[in-house]
Amino acid sequence: MHCQQKCPNEDGRDCFVRYVNTKVIKRMENFRIRNSTIGNPRLFLLPLSFGVSSVALLHLLDSQLQGQIDRMNRTGYGLLVVHVNMPSTAPTGIYMKRLQQRYPRHTHFHVDLAELFDYPNGILESSGKSGLSQALGAPDGQVSNQDKLDHLLDSLPSATSRADMLGILRTRLLVEIAKKRGCEGIMWGDSTTRLAEKTLAETAKGRGFSLPWQISDGASPHSLVFRYPLRDLLKKELVTYASLTTPPLDPIIIPEQTPQALTSKNTTIDDLVTNYFQSVEESFPSIVANVVRTSGKLSAHQPFGGGERCTICEMPITAGSGGLHGWGGDQGKLGPSSSDPHPVEKLCYGCARSTLGATFSARTASQG
Amino acid sequence: MPPSSCAICSSRALIVRPKNHQKLCKSCFLSIFEEEIHHTITTNTLFQYGERVAIGASGGKDSTVLASVLKTLNERHDYGVDFVLLSIDEGIKGYRDDSLETVKRNAVQYGMELCIVGYDELYGWTMDQVVEQVGKKGNCTYCGVFRRQALDRGAAKLGINHVVTGHNADDIAETVLMNLLRGDLPRLSRTTHIITSSPSSPIKRSKPLKYAYEKEIVLYAHHKKLDYFSTECIYSPEAFRGSARALIKNLERVRPSAILDVVRSGEDMAKLVPEEVSAIQRCAGKNEAIQEGGGEEGFGGCGSGGGRSSGGEMIDMERRLNENEAAREREIDIAPANITSKDTPPIQKITVRQQGARTPRKLPRQHMGQCIRCGYLSSQEICKACMLLDGLNKNRPKTKIEVSLEDGEGSSALKG
Repeated sequence: MHCQQKCPNEDGRDCFVRYVNTKVIKRMENFRIRNSTIGNPRLFLLPLSFGVSSVALLHLLDSQLQGQIDRMNRTGYGLLVVHVNMPSTAPTGIYMKRLQQRYPRHTHFHVDLAELFDYPNGILESSGKSGLSQALGAPDGQVSNQDKLDHLLDSLPSATSRADMLGILRTRLLVEIAKKRGCEGIMWGDSTTRLAEKTLAETAKGRGFSLPWQISDGASPHSLVFRYPLRDLLKKELVTYASLTTPPLDPIIIPEQTPQALTSKNTTIDDLVTNYFQSVEESFPSIVANVVRTSGKLSAHQPFGGGERCTICEMPITAGSGGLHGWGGDQGKLGPSSSDPHPVEKLCYGCARSTLGATFSARTASQG
Repeated sequence: MPPSSCAICSSRALIVRPKNHQKLCKSCFLSIFEEEIHHTITTNTLFQYGERVAIGASGGKDSTVLASVLKTLNERHDYGVDFVLLSIDEGIKGYRDDSLETVKRNAVQYGMELCIVGYDELYGWTMDQVVEQVGKKGNCTYCGVFRRQALDRGAAKLGINHVVTGHNADDIAETVLMNLLRGDLPRLSRTTHIITSSPSSPIKRSKPLKYAYEKEIVLYAHHKKLDYFSTECIYSPEAFRGSARALIKNLERVRPSAILDVVRSGEDMAKLVPEEVSAIQRCAGKNEAIQEGGGEEGFGGCGSGGGRSSGGEMIDMERRLNENEAAREREIDIAPANITSKDTPPIQKITVRQQGARTPRKLPRQHMGQCIRCGYLSSQEICKACMLLDGLNKNRPKTKIEVSLEDGEGSSALKG
């Protein structure tokens, strides 16, 4: 238990629950009732993976809203809860049902990741002809969304690239859904630990440039507000919290799969970093928090107005810094250069790295 | 399986390049390795024709390869540079004395002048003596601060204003992660620059191997049959570095480009460090960082401990962060008082500043002057090295005492 005060309750439970609540309420100060207008509540999308963090976030925000109803009979904002079915996730039907029963106040729905191909105006044509779909080499025509997604993932060169792209596609789908449903922004369930992981993982994937937009509260390049209300809570604190609520949150949390051995061929950079912070969190929790504070100090110099954007991840690219080439570490022109099938200026370094060597012509290749 | 052929000349490939898994024959590997460093040197205009440049030489693989490659390229591409070997004798028995023998042989092999400066003559302390006094924990701080000054002084002695060091891509990547872990953005920003210099110090540093993979450096040394010393420093590296190093090695295994990608991220992030945090000014040269602190560059230079670490620094930092956190909780929500005290550790400044999250305060500008003791460039009255020396000398016995039995692990290691 993390209670440092003297608890009236011997096991420190109430104290800990209050501690968690306070950490979140502090981050949600802008969402008091007095900041909303009657009849037109602000709406936020809450992506829920059925992991401990996002479920805890939903529970905490739901409690906040309940408090507002108790006092004022109305709420400062509304939530739209969405689960994205990822290619690797197990069926979530029973969890969806329990979720709806437990939090009937909110609209809950789920979408398949492949549905991102159903947003022609949003994603596919966002950058004219070289939209995301084309950049990733997805086939068009009479192919099902699922086939397009499978093709796209199969064409990527490594497990790391696939995990990287899946994360980006998921974010972009959520952004499209939020926009379509009239949401002001997205409430992410990232804990301190998760944000620290993201800091190091994105750095390792050559995406250091995008950190200011990936871990800070505020406007995102996707023209929506991103919020991280759990940013002051460690993953292990949320795990404890989930078991202390009445009733506990366990029935709506899908247990984490035991991580595969980190020597496997399918190990990704994200796996490594997650594993790394698991051990750091154990012994050095403040260092985890310090990583997040540190990367939070990086500031974007230019606003993301008219500048160039990466076709895949939509992050702003400083002029001339797109693609893998044209920086100090690029000595590609010396050897036989690896094939770079994309117009370099359209991809950021991270996306160019993840798609380098992708067999985008897989469809033709498999025919031949 | 048929033998693979070289991707460049189609003779039989013997080497898989660690960086990108390209299959190459031996001579193509050696020449592409050299040409990539030539590329780094020319695109960053590291050298001027007719310049005299000191190579910081430890006898280890990095500096030996650096010296060998620079000699080769200097002749091949007519840089017109006069290279000199500059070595620091930290005074570590069983490590530095042996590696210095290697440097002496290198000097003969490459036909370069050699200058050795010792901690002993500069500071009156060898690292063995320092460790005997302070223990193994934290001794890298002393070594790092001392080395920086020692290199500068050695260069000054040679009348040279440019020192190249053997820091490779793995070192830089490691430092980027390490500084994220310990929350040191100024240093993160500084170390990613290929050239660093201090405003009133005439001596600049550069890192021609900045983009070269450690594994390729080892391969190059092996295939060139270079004479280098491969024992690592016997005193353990900082825990943060060890921790970051282990992670970097794993990342490389999963995606070989990861080292280069971290370096790239570091360069990009350096541009995102707000000026009031970075305490450096970006100046004319786009790859150049002006360093005001005059402190060590963030490289232990010796951190080759292969991930073994005592964890001491991480425990200390954890405790410090906790104390700050506790202090913050007690604080009422008002703007924090100006923290200008000289002895406040930097980390505390950063955490306290976080209180006023969105309103960055201007930190007082540092004024560079000279240390009143030794005359070395310093933003404080007394430079870091002299401060450390003060601490050491305070506890130094007035009369020389032989290693005693009660003296703890440091001394027993020395005896053994």
